[in-house]
Order: sequence, then C-alpha cells, then structure tokens
Amino acid sequence: MPKYADDPTWADIVPLPTDEGGPNPLAAIAYSDDYSETMSYLRAVMAAKEHSPRVLDLTEDLIDMNPAHYTVWLYRAETLFALHSDLRAELEWLNETALAHQKNYQIWHHRNLIVDRLCGEEQGVVDEEGLWKAECEFVEQMFERDAKNYHVWSYRQWLVRRFGLWGPVELEFTERMLARDLRNNSAWNHRWFVVNGRAEMEGDGGLGVEDPEVRAREVKFAMEAVAKTPQNQSPWNYLRGIVRKTGMSLGHLKGFAEQYASLKEPDEVRSSFALDLLAEVYVEEKKAKEAGEVLDLLATRYDPIRKHYWQYRKGLLGVEGAAAA
Amino acid sequence: MAILSSNESLLEPSLDKARHVKYWTRCLKTYLPNQYTGNDSNRMYLAYFIISALDLLDALKTVPSEQERRDHVNWIYHCQHPNGGFRMWPGTDFGKLSNEKNAQYDPANIPGTYFALATLLIYDDDLTRVRRADCLEWLRQMQRPDGSFGETIVNGRIEGGSDSRLGFCAAGIRHILRGRTSGSIDIDGQLIQDIELDAFVGCVRMAESFDGGIADEPFHEPQAGYTFCSLGALALIDRLNRPNGHDVKETNGPVDPLRVLDWLVWRQTELTDPDAGLDTELCTDEDAPHTQHAEGQHIPKGDKGDHGMPAKQSPDKTVGGSMFDLLVDGAGMNGRTNKVADTCYAFWVGASLHIMETPTLCDQSAARRYLLGKTQHGVLGGFGKFPGDLPDLYHSYLGLAALSLAGSDQVKPLDGGMCLSREARERLPTIWKSWRVDA
Ligand SMILES: [Zn+2]
Repeated sequence: MPKYADDPTWADIVPLPTDEGGPNPLAAIAYSDDYSETMSYLRAVMAAKEHSPRVLDLTEDLIDMNPAHYTVWLYRAETLFALHSDLRAELEWLNETALAHQKNYQIWHHRNLIVDRLCGEEQGVVDEEGLWKAECEFVEQMFERDAKNYHVWSYRQWLVRRFGLWGPVELEFTERMLARDLRNNSAWNHRWFVVNGRAEMEGDGGLGVEDPEVRAREVKFAMEAVAKTPQNQSPWNYLRGIVRKTGMSLGHLKGFAEQYASLKEPDEVRSSFALDLLAEVYVEEKKAKEAGEVLDLLATRYDPIRKHYWQYRKGLLGVEGAAAA
Repeated sequence: MAILSSNESLLEPSLDKARHVKYWTRCLKTYLPNQYTGNDSNRMYLAYFIISALDLLDALKTVPSEQERRDHVNWIYHCQHPNGGFRMWPGTDFGKLSNEKNAQYDPANIPGTYFALATLLIYDDDLTRVRRADCLEWLRQMQRPDGSFGETIVNGRIEGGSDSRLGFCAAGIRHILRGRTSGSIDIDGQLIQDIELDAFVGCVRMAESFDGGIADEPFHEPQAGYTFCSLGALALIDRLNRPNGHDVKETNGPVDPLRVLDWLVWRQTELTDPDAGLDTELCTDEDAPHTQHAEGQHIPKGDKGDHGMPAKQSPDKTVGGSMFDLLVDGAGMNGRTNKVADTCYAFWVGASLHIMETPTLCDQSAARRYLLGKTQHGVLGGFGKFPGDLPDLYHSYLGLAALSLAGSDQVKPLDGGMCLSREARERLPTIWKSWRVDA
C-alpha cells in the first residue's frame, strides 16, 4: 500500500531508489515496501535540498524506522531551523522517539542541538530554569525504563555542565537513584562527576574531594553504602577513587576494610573487595607476606575466577612461591 | 593457547560449527530479516561481520562462489566515496543527481571506511582500487583540534560523537593505509600529512575513570567497549602502555595500565540472568520497576551464594564455593561494574586483555563455557546476547571472535587488535611493501 505515491502532497516528487551498484550486494535487508518508498522519497527531497514542512513529516517517518541514519538528522535540524519551527514541539516529539528507541545516540545529540538553540535563540526570553527542569524530569522518566542507559547519563552530564547544576539538588538526585538500586554504578559515576567535575572541567571553584569537608562527606556516604551491601563493588571503587585522587594513605581505610575481611578470621570474609583493598594496604605497609596471604584467600576461596590475576598480583610482590602469571 | 586438562574438556560444551556456518551462510545468501531495517545505515559493518565470521569458520573459500566474491568486493568499492573514504551503505549516494549542493548529505563515514577496508583485507583484495591519498587526506580532516575523531564531515563541520570507537576506526584506517610510517608521506607526488598522534593519546588519557576503566569522554562511566577501542587504537599507533612494560611513557596511554588491567579482570562475572529477581538486601523500594530484558538489572541470583564468591550479602559468614561449580557454569564478561554478562563483552574484555598481553589473567575456560554452554544457539547457530536469546549478527560475530581469543581451536586464530583473522592481518606487510611504507 503506497503511502507517498498516492498522496497529492507528494505528486511533484520523482522518487529516487537506492542504487546497489550490481548483483549480490552485501548485508541486503528485507525492507518493507513502506521503508523502501519512504527512503526513495527522502533521497529525492534531500538531493533537491528541499526545506519544507512536508520534509519534517517525511524525516519523522524515516527516523521512526531507521533512527541510525546519520545524515537524516542533520537534514531535519537544518529544515527545522530554516522554517523557524517550534523547537518545543520538537522536544515533545523527541520524548516519544527516545522512549521508542532507547539505544540510539543520534536522538540525544539532536536533543543537545535543539536545547542549545532554544537557549541561544530566545536568549533572555526563554525560561532557562523551566527548560532544564523539564529536561531533568524527562531524564528521570527515561531512567524508570532503564536506570543505566548510557546515552541518558551522558545527556544528564551535559545538562549539568550546560546549566551549571553542580549544587545539592543534583547530589540528591544521585541519592534518589542509589536508594532505588545501590548497585547502580552509573549513579555512582554521576555522583563522582557532580562532586569532582566542576573543579576539573570548569575551573571555576570547588575542589571536589580535595576539600576536606567534601571528602569526609563522600567517604561517609560510600561507607554507609558498603555497610548495606558489602559485596557491591561500586562504593568500594568510589572509596578507592577518593584515596587515589587525594593522595591520602590507604591505611585510613584499613580498619574499615577489616570489618569485612581480615586475616585473623579467614572464614568470616564478607566482601572480596575488602580483601582486595586489604592486600593493597599491606603492600603500602610493605608487609608482603600478609599481602600474599590475602591474595591467596582471594585466589583459592573468595574469588577463584580471578585466580590467575591474584597470582599475578602476588608475583608483583616478589613473594616467594608466587605462581608466574 | 590454553591447554585443557582432561577433566575440564569433559565438561566443556563444543562449538556446533556446522550450525554456525549455516547461520552465516543464510546471512550472506538471503535477505537479512526486516528487523535489521534500523541498521540499514550500518550495513558495511554487518557486511564485515558476515564475511569475517565465514573466514573465522574457514568457510569463506567454499560458501560464496567466485562470482559472488567478485560481486561482494565490487559492492564495497561501490560504497567508496569519490573524495576518499567509504559510505556505510549506498543509501546516501544520489547518483546522477549528485551535485556540490547536496554533497553535504553524502559524506564518507569513519566506521564505514574501517569496516570496508577490513572486509577487503579479509577477502584478500590488494586494495589497489582504494583512493588511498584522498582517504588519508580526508582522515586528517576528520580529527578535531582536541585530538578526537568524528564520524563524518558535513559542510566543513565534523559531525558525530568523539568517542574512542571512532578513534579506533581512524587508527585502523591509518594502520591499513600507511603501515607504521609516521609523519608526512608521499603518495603519487601528493604529500599527505599524518594525524595528530599526541592529541589523540591525550583524549584517551583524559577519559580514564577514577575506577580504572575508560569511558567515551572524561567523567562518563567506563565501559568495556570504549576501553577496548581506546587500548586498540593506542596499540595500532604504537602508543600503548602495557602493564608488563617497564617504561610507562607520558606520551603513551593509558596513564595507569595496571589500574586498567584490574578493571578489566573484574569484568568477568557469574551473573548471567538479566531477568533475575531483585535482590532483597539492596531493594528497599517494593515498587522498584523490573527493567527491560535488554538492559536488565544485574542482581545476583539471590538463591545462589555458592559460586565461589559471596554473591548474596548475608551478615552470616560466606563460604567459598568449590571450583567444580564454576567449571560447570562458566562465566562471561559484563561491560560495566555490577551488570550481567553479555556475549559481546567476552570479546571487548578478552581482546583488551589480549592487547595488553595478559590474555590468561581472566578465566578463559570459564569464558568458553559461558559462550558455548549458555549463549550459543542450539538450533539456529550463532550466539544471542543473553542465555536463551535468539542470535543476532553482532553477538554471533563477537561470540566467535571471543571464543577464538579464549583459546578455542574450533575457530581460526584471531587478531584481537583488529578483530579479524590473523591470517587476514598478515596480508598487510605485502600490501605495505607495494606502497613502500614501513611494516
Ligand atoms: Zn552485547
């Protein structure tokens, strides 16, 4: 059932089918008639560089079937700007499209472009706060479907930078996400960004975890998370990230790690990550024998899947009898 | 490659090679199902999966006929852009209607170009029809001042992301077309400058995360695919710091190879079921939604705390499991911390370790058992993303590639750095010689 060929709106267009160049093209797809037709009309109007309202309908149709088409997005953006289209309506449409195609990168890139344009075009007129609040809300809606969607988290970081949302509201957002799933590493990563990103990326204040107060708050936050989920690597990595960034001694975490794993009670280990940390503490203390014993516990009992890696780490200690990796 | 002890080989499922050949033959000889329409603009990369998979299965010389082979190669060259580089598929080429004005909608594409060149190499093409000077000149224009690469250039603007997938493809194009020669080279009297290597290395170093992995951009969450692409790109331009290397250089990346290695080995996990119930210990919200199948929550199976690691957080002591459980179950790789295993990450992680020259630091035997026993499709051939899933081209190809790197002798030896057979990569020095560039 042809959609465009029978439509008087498109009567002036001669569709331009794709030329595969010869027999036996590679990775040929069983396209629907609908897709082939839409594609042929799209190619014809793109070749003519037409920028008109019907182009918006056509690109919408094509994007719905093939959102990975990289130049159709650029074509659509150009058309929108040429026609001075309502960009808020575009955001509305993008909401539906993003929900339908969760894994697509172009949608989010296009969204950046539209939001940027809205702020630039209507500078002083646009309610920026209203805009970013709506964007943040939409992002949270996306996270209800998939709380680890990489593109959405990247977009959230872009919003924070674009609108300077480095404050406590964004920290509370990470807490809300972590309350839902304390193992959501994307949320931990976002917290690290909110705490440290400004100092590194904007250079306009904030020391991140190098500020003693911030460091104390973040260490406490991660320790409380470990207490709830000892076998959750994210908060352990977060703690170690703080240690590395600030240059503080790992020894500060020794007592904490020993609550979850200690050489004195090798049968009572509650976290393999605590053991891993403890091994590094012993290395820092130059106690190679103890470090080796901890690595043995990991290799033989608590994390045998990485046995070769623990043996390799033991090899780095220069401990006698360590297996060569 | 790993030698199996008799007791391990007894437990290891085998590769149903005939079914895999059948799966890929179908992909080559019949139309791909309509569901691939959303990947229409990625066809060059689907083509590469199909041709390379048949090569890895040692079926490329028998499945396509001589005439078909010629047609396939011609199709790839049909996608070559008149100004250098390749398109991802012929869909942007306006043919007779092409003109200067609409040229902006028909750009060459960085991944399209890498996959086209790789596929030609696998088909033992001599690359003489490649517009080499134009391609390398275009490649140079695809690099941004910050060192990153885009996907296309449109009206002088570099479009697309800036992540290491594009950097990997760019490094691959450079490697294939100019070997190990750095600096300006003369091609038929045209002086072609090199890309900015230092700036590119800087991009990778910046994207190293606080936890050791590498992300697409600074402060984004590290992910195994981006980590592979970063390490792979650095290896292709001879700027990789390896954990066993005694001289970690500042002009190389990553900054801290041991941290990256640590992050990589942690990717191996027994968590396989994306639909597993929510872990009661961590879930305080009764209404927490079940996530979709494709990106399920990586919660351990609450009832299995016996896999050698305390998967269930009970305040009670944890008992280390026996190796036997692990041998039966296998363990794949996840792409990010606290996610479930997924077939493709067995490649992204396995190949990263391979590039770092520490391939045996993960449990390769467990990885093979995960792929062969859990995600290989028993009826259709190919591999699914998760256990029980239908096969798709992407996971079916990367599953085979991962299996080769994990020591299976049923698949041709793979070059992890370029993700094609070693045999295919070994054709490069002869081609370089004909171009008089360093091998
Ligand atoms: Zn996957």
